[in-house]
Parts: sequence; structure tokens; C-alpha cells
Amino acid sequence: MAGTLTPERTAERLCELSTDARAAVLLDAAGSLAGFHGVPQTESRELGELARELFEGVDRAHRDLPGGPPEQMEAQVEGGAVYASRTPRWTLAVVARRGALSSLMLMDLRAVLAELEGGPPIRRSSAAAEATSGPATEEAAARESPVPELGEDPRNGA
Amino acid sequence: MKEKRKGPIGRAAGLAEGLAATVRRMQREREPRVLVYDETGYARLVQPNGRGYERLLETAEQMVEVVDAGGDA
Repeated sequence: MAGTLTPERTAERLCELSTDARAAVLLDAAGSLAGFHGVPQTESRELGELARELFEGVDRAHRDLPGGPPEQMEAQVEGGAVYASRTPRWTLAVVARRGALSSLMLMDLRAVLAELEGGPPIRRSSAAAEATSGPATEEAAARESPVPELGEDPRNGA
Repeated sequence: MKEKRKGPIGRAAGLAEGLAATVRRMQREREPRVLVYDETGYARLVQPNGRGYERLLETAEQMVEVVDAGGDA
């Protein structure tokens, strides 16, 4: 169902999607903390403040760069990586492990922000063994779609 | 055209080249860097001598430190 993701749940949602995401913060258009996950509440404000500074720095650096205003950024530093994405309403930043795949992290950020803004919810495929409730039979396998997104949702029992 | 078969020295040289490329790639990946992406996904590297580069790296490092201190709560 569209529009079910709340700002409070957004950071958590991102961390659920990626095992490389350690902590995330969501800021509103005014730069205020709207949600966090992966850090204690005492640290969340500081993380949110740093995320706000990050895009201020991006806008400063952008003056020397060609192209449109940056929508996403990535910083690889010792001990980890930081990715951030923004829309006119929200800024979502995540601290990830150093080995995180940039393209996947950036795609997850975009997808979660799109879901927050009322877009379609992100669907996660589950393993066939997890999805089917009964014993694995040839008949059940024949009914499965090779592309789970296009097939029937087995959890509906259809 | 049929590819010329490599001898033992050629194969060893090929392996060494591959290894050197892997080491170079790993070193490059460890280097601090900042990239920005526009709405089309086009990436631009913020040059180390560019405006705001140091500040961006510092901010990102601080964010990692905050999370380290928080212990993945």
C-alpha cells in the first residue's frame, strides 16, 4: 500500500534493506531530525547535524563542478562510507560499511525516499523455501513465476 | 584470426599483470574520495584540491565516528 512509510520509520527501513547500512538519519526540509536508526537517541542529533552539514558542503563544492545540483553524494573515508540523498522535502543520510556497493546504496536511498513520498513500496523477494508454506512439490514449483515480482504473492495463498 | 597461444612466460606475465591491476584497484578503493551525483545519476568526483573537499571528508569521518561510538545501537 502506498504512503505507509512514515518519516520515523524511514531510516530503519533503509537499514533493513541493506546489511551494509549501519545507521541512518532523515532530515526534513528545514534540516530538523525527522527519524533515525542505528544510533542511540543521544547521538542521533549530532548525526543529523552532520548530515545537514554534509549537503551544505556538497553545495559549496558544487559551485566548481559542471552539471545540475547534486541530488546524491558519496564519501569514502577510513573506516566507512557515507551516502546521502535528498529531495525537496527530505534528506536521508546513511553511514555504511566500507565494502558497501555504491550503486546499491544509492539506489536504496532513492527507493526509500520515493516510498516515503508516496511512491510504491519496495518489494523484497524471499527465498522460495521461505515463501512456500507447504512441502516443496513439482506442482508447486510449476506454479511459481521465475520473476517473483510478476507472479502471485504466495503469502496470499492464491 | 586465431589467437596466438601464450607460452609459460606469457602466461606468467598475464597473471602478474592481473595481480598488479587488482592491487592498484584495491589501493584506489581505499583512498578517501567524495563523489556527487546529479538527478540523472551522473557522477562527478570532487577533486582533492576542490572547494569544500576537506570539509566534506571531515564531516563524513565524524559521521562514521559517531556511529562507531554509538556501537550500532
